[in-house]
Amino acid sequence: MKAIVFNVLQCVGCYSCQIGCKDEHCGNDWMPYARPQPETGQFWMKLREFERGATPQVKVSYTPVPCMHCDDAPCMEACLTEGAIIKRADGLVIIDPIKCSGCQLCITACPYGAIFYNSGLQIAQKCTGCAHLIDRGWPIKEPRCINNCPGDVGAFGEESELASEIAQAEKLEPNFGETPKVRVYYKGLPKRFIAGCVYNPATKDVVIGATCTVSGAAGNTSAATDDFGDFWFEGLSKGTFTLTISGDGKTKTITGDTTEKDVALGDIALT
Amino acid sequence: MKEEKEKLISNEEGKQAGEVSRRDFLVGAGTVVVGTAVGAGMLSGCSGGETTKTVETTKTVEKTVTTTVGGAGATVTETKTVGAGETVTATATKTVTQPGGGGLEPWQEPETPFPGAYGTDSNQACIADVKNGKIVRIRPFNWDYDVSEEDLKAAEWEFTAHGKTYKSFRRSHSSWFSMAYKKRIYSPARILFPVQRVDWEPGGDPDKINAQNRGISKYKRISWDTAATLIASEIKRVQDKYGVFSCLFAETPAHRETKVVHWPGNIQGRMLGGAVPGEAMFSEQVRNADSWEGYFWGLKWLAGEGNVGAVTPSTNNILDVAENCEMVVIQGCDRIVTGKAASCGTLNFLHKLGTIKHVYLAPDCNYQNAAYPGKWIPILPNTDIALSYAIVYTWLVEDTWDKEYVDTHVVGMEYIRDYAMGDVDGVAKTPEWASKRTGIPEWTIKALARAWAKYRTTAGHGTGGHVRGPYSHEEGRMTGVLMGMQGLGKPGQQWWGGFGGASPSRSADTSVGSARTPGRACRQVRNVRSKQFIPKTLVSPAILDHGFDKPMSWYGHTANAEMRPDQLIKFTYPIPQADGGAEIHLFWNDKPCNIGCWNAGHKLIEAFRSPKLEAFFTQHQWMSGDCVFADIILPINTAAEEDDLCNATGDQSAVFYKPRAIEPLGESKSDYEATLEVAYKLQEFGGRYAKAVENLTEGMDFDALIRYGYEGTQMAKTIPWEEFQKKSYLLAPVNPKWQESAPGLRRFYEDPVKYPRDLPSGKLEFYSQVLADNFPDDKERPPYPQYVIGGPNPNWEVNDTGWMHDESLDVENGAERCKQYPFLLQTNHPRWRVHVQCDDIPWFREVDTCKMKGPDGYMYEPLWINPIDAEKLGIRHGDIVKIFNERGIDLGAAYVSQRIIPGAVYQDHGAREDFVSSWPHECINRGGTNQQISPLPGVSRNCWGMASQAFLVGVEKLDPAEMEQWRTQHPHAFEWSKNWDPYVGYTFQDWLEQGGA
Repeated sequence: MKAIVFNVLQCVGCYSCQIGCKDEHCGNDWMPYARPQPETGQFWMKLREFERGATPQVKVSYTPVPCMHCDDAPCMEACLTEGAIIKRADGLVIIDPIKCSGCQLCITACPYGAIFYNSGLQIAQKCTGCAHLIDRGWPIKEPRCINNCPGDVGAFGEESELASEIAQAEKLEPNFGETPKVRVYYKGLPKRFIAGCVYNPATKDVVIGATCTVSGAAGNTSAATDDFGDFWFEGLSKGTFTLTISGDGKTKTITGDTTEKDVALGDIALT
Repeated sequence: MKEEKEKLISNEEGKQAGEVSRRDFLVGAGTVVVGTAVGAGMLSGCSGGETTKTVETTKTVEKTVTTTVGGAGATVTETKTVGAGETVTATATKTVTQPGGGGLEPWQEPETPFPGAYGTDSNQACIADVKNGKIVRIRPFNWDYDVSEEDLKAAEWEFTAHGKTYKSFRRSHSSWFSMAYKKRIYSPARILFPVQRVDWEPGGDPDKINAQNRGISKYKRISWDTAATLIASEIKRVQDKYGVFSCLFAETPAHRETKVVHWPGNIQGRMLGGAVPGEAMFSEQVRNADSWEGYFWGLKWLAGEGNVGAVTPSTNNILDVAENCEMVVIQGCDRIVTGKAASCGTLNFLHKLGTIKHVYLAPDCNYQNAAYPGKWIPILPNTDIALSYAIVYTWLVEDTWDKEYVDTHVVGMEYIRDYAMGDVDGVAKTPEWASKRTGIPEWTIKALARAWAKYRTTAGHGTGGHVRGPYSHEEGRMTGVLMGMQGLGKPGQQWWGGFGGASPSRSADTSVGSARTPGRACRQVRNVRSKQFIPKTLVSPAILDHGFDKPMSWYGHTANAEMRPDQLIKFTYPIPQADGGAEIHLFWNDKPCNIGCWNAGHKLIEAFRSPKLEAFFTQHQWMSGDCVFADIILPINTAAEEDDLCNATGDQSAVFYKPRAIEPLGESKSDYEATLEVAYKLQEFGGRYAKAVENLTEGMDFDALIRYGYEGTQMAKTIPWEEFQKKSYLLAPVNPKWQESAPGLRRFYEDPVKYPRDLPSGKLEFYSQVLADNFPDDKERPPYPQYVIGGPNPNWEVNDTGWMHDESLDVENGAERCKQYPFLLQTNHPRWRVHVQCDDIPWFREVDTCKMKGPDGYMYEPLWINPIDAEKLGIRHGDIVKIFNERGIDLGAAYVSQRIIPGAVYQDHGAREDFVSSWPHECINRGGTNQQISPLPGVSRNCWGMASQAFLVGVEKLDPAEMEQWRTQHPHAFEWSKNWDPYVGYTFQDWLEQGGA
């Protein structure tokens, strides 16, 4: 059974995965696996881009999102036509371009928004895992998005071979629960961060080595500010927090909430 | 040659396609299989072979499905919710065309791989797979392809730092430009046949050349014969009338494709004697150091030679950084953008080490900064010199600089000290002083200064950054001061510059068999100069404002490969008539990108519209840039369409023989072939043109040229041509002792007497006596770097105040224009283009940082603006915005983002021109071609590089009424663009008169 593990920490947002998918499928007919993808507007592989934080504590997170090739795929359940969406022995889920009636129920059913309607061809389409390449074994034996990646973000292979990677990975949407069971996993998915720069307004110096402690629903952790007076807590949960900063004989308490977004506190005067 | 290669590639015959192994396809069995394996290829639709059977099925299915939200149904996405209990009825009707039995299905049809490199400005190896004469895909190259294990091992390398090993990648890190190049090759913007502007006639009669309509009037199709005849006869006519130097030809064009033999480099010039110094019968347009001006005009005087923003030697810099560096300070540059995918392996490795702090000094949180952990210190554009002086001030006050090193390796420290402490102008360059100018908090400036003094710090540059704006030579030199005060060349303290890629192979000593020379080997003359030349930055004033009655002068050839002393030589245009000097009346430009990525595009448009320019020719693959102003355009093909050599790199380096992957599109020819067409016509005139063809070919046919090219490589010294012919490529072996070469400036650090810098003192010259002697009155580039912001000088050619620029927000120090235009527009190297190239790739335009669809459906170039500024201006994300100054108006879509410092806005340079109006003084560009409103003057008075990276603009939300007014005033601009595909921009067809095709 095939699986993919994306280590998004290695992703620099080059979009070669999304572009490679288009290069493979736009204007190319891979029947019986897939008819061509429309030139624009559809993303069998979509790189999601999120800007996080606020000036000057800003990061951008990138997450590649193809079809999850679910084992109990909601699209298969929703499909009108018997056998139009098939689960292959290797785990890949394929929409049969011939059998698909174009009813679009699968599009509604997919919780990941991974299926698109091709109005020209009147069929639903999505990532095939580049099954045509896997099956014929040339010129490459893996999906284009994986092969195109300069950062080795994605690993494609047998689930058993990727077991140790999968053990450290998570689902794209953990809150979806156990079902559907996905075959695409992620390492390093962005959580919430709290960041800031601590300075002494009297001396106009950053405060190095100030103890910063986060507590609350967002997480419980502690660190000292670095040479730039910075603290940057990664991997926090969504929720309220209390941040206590102690340094230069002073203590400051800040409360906040990471539920909606990351918290960039900018320059914090320690008074 | 071509046949031989095809034979080599298609080595096995008669196999059934179904049985063909991966290896067979990799070596190209496909070429043969297409022939033997049937109508296979045809079944899917090319020509409908006899075995084709079409099945048509029509089916209608009606069914009612109830989906309940809850339980498993809770997984339904927010955007595509099916409500609880809601019923969905789906009816579908479709026609299916299905191939019948007997042949191969499309997925099985054979493909032929063509290894090499495809793309713009990236020689990363890749492979184009071709089926039925069309490119199916372009994918990264695996170096285990068609090579012996022994040869591959000899080309591979690895090193270990802090217990972690970096091993060269076997799969090339081809850039997204290569991966999407199929769209470029088949772009609807491709110029498919020669065209002539409908209202231009040869002969130079102002009433018949209609120069005022350049950029407006359309084109008609002409034959190659007509085009070549017209160009040749106009060259002759103009040269007969005005002298040979009246024809301006482009020197090395920027950003070629991956061509070698077919490369355009100086090609028209070679035709007219340009290969022999002093015999050139044309004027040359010389390309400046466009992406590292501040280093070219500044750093060279302080640290000695270097190229592309590096200080040489730069061997093994990355090895030293990995092993010894603790902090890298990256000033504005972005290796993800300029180094592209090739940088990923190295950057990922350096970050994995966990031993190096990355600090980014830039107005924008650039792509490298955004993706990797590191400290972003937002700084207002053009103010880096103030920050640098505050760092020096802090070091001096806190006594944290390397006095011992400075004593032995530096001259002129006293000047820097006096200036920093305020002894020169009464202003101490304190962190507080710098904070007001840079926008950086005082405490962060001090923290940076202290960290820099505490940690082994390397200056990281990848072209662009802080050295492309006004007076960038000051900061270019000042970074050298900072590195010098801490001991440049010490372990982990290097100048990590140079072009793009961060791959160690780019700095490793692979001299045993460097593959990186076929470009030069193929007679692509870089340094041959015509007696009369014009820097590319000065073309518009040369045409518009200067002539024998009013000559213009400047220093240096300005060419990016020139050595430092060249900057002391004064040149003039036109040269004296006694020496054959002539005013320019004809211009032939290849890779025409002057408006899109050079200085003051608005002025170039004016120059192109001058009747003095009796003929303007271009040659290009795509209808864009300056092409639309030309009188005749020659259609050029892409690298995929010609047999050629190719020096492809990855972590490895190789020379490829690259047969054409597809036939040339339309009537397109290579740059070389196109010029040859004109040469044949010129030769017919005899006289000075008698050798036009021979000058170009040197008696060689294409096969001979390719052999000549190969034999010019280092590789050919050990592997003869005959061996190369047997292979599709040769890998350059790595010197097994590469790690033993001293990294960067280590030897200078260790023994500055034995290994001096190539400066008069042999040391780092914080104070340049040569500059002092040669330019005693230069207040813009004084002998040692200073905080120079310029000042008002509205008409510097008439009423000179001594300043060339007023592109600063520093009102306290006399800045004036910022009162009218309060934002600094930063225009980095583009994320989704190579300068002006690749703006027509739809797959890029789908990404918000490339284009944003405006409310009117048009794809606008994003303008980054901080939410604080956006709110002040009443601008929301996605609004159409007007970016303007006295030079014109540029449009964009607001990209409201935390990734830009308040006070500056950001827009990539190089967007494809789309004029609402292109008349001088009322230029309105919907395409977002911001270089059009960039300043004309060079970096400074005596340094005619370009200063167009950051300049003042006003920003407003575009009033829809104003757009309506433009629609009324310039209906043409909106009418003829309404059929454009927003994901491409205008096409070749759009520029043809009706029926012209």
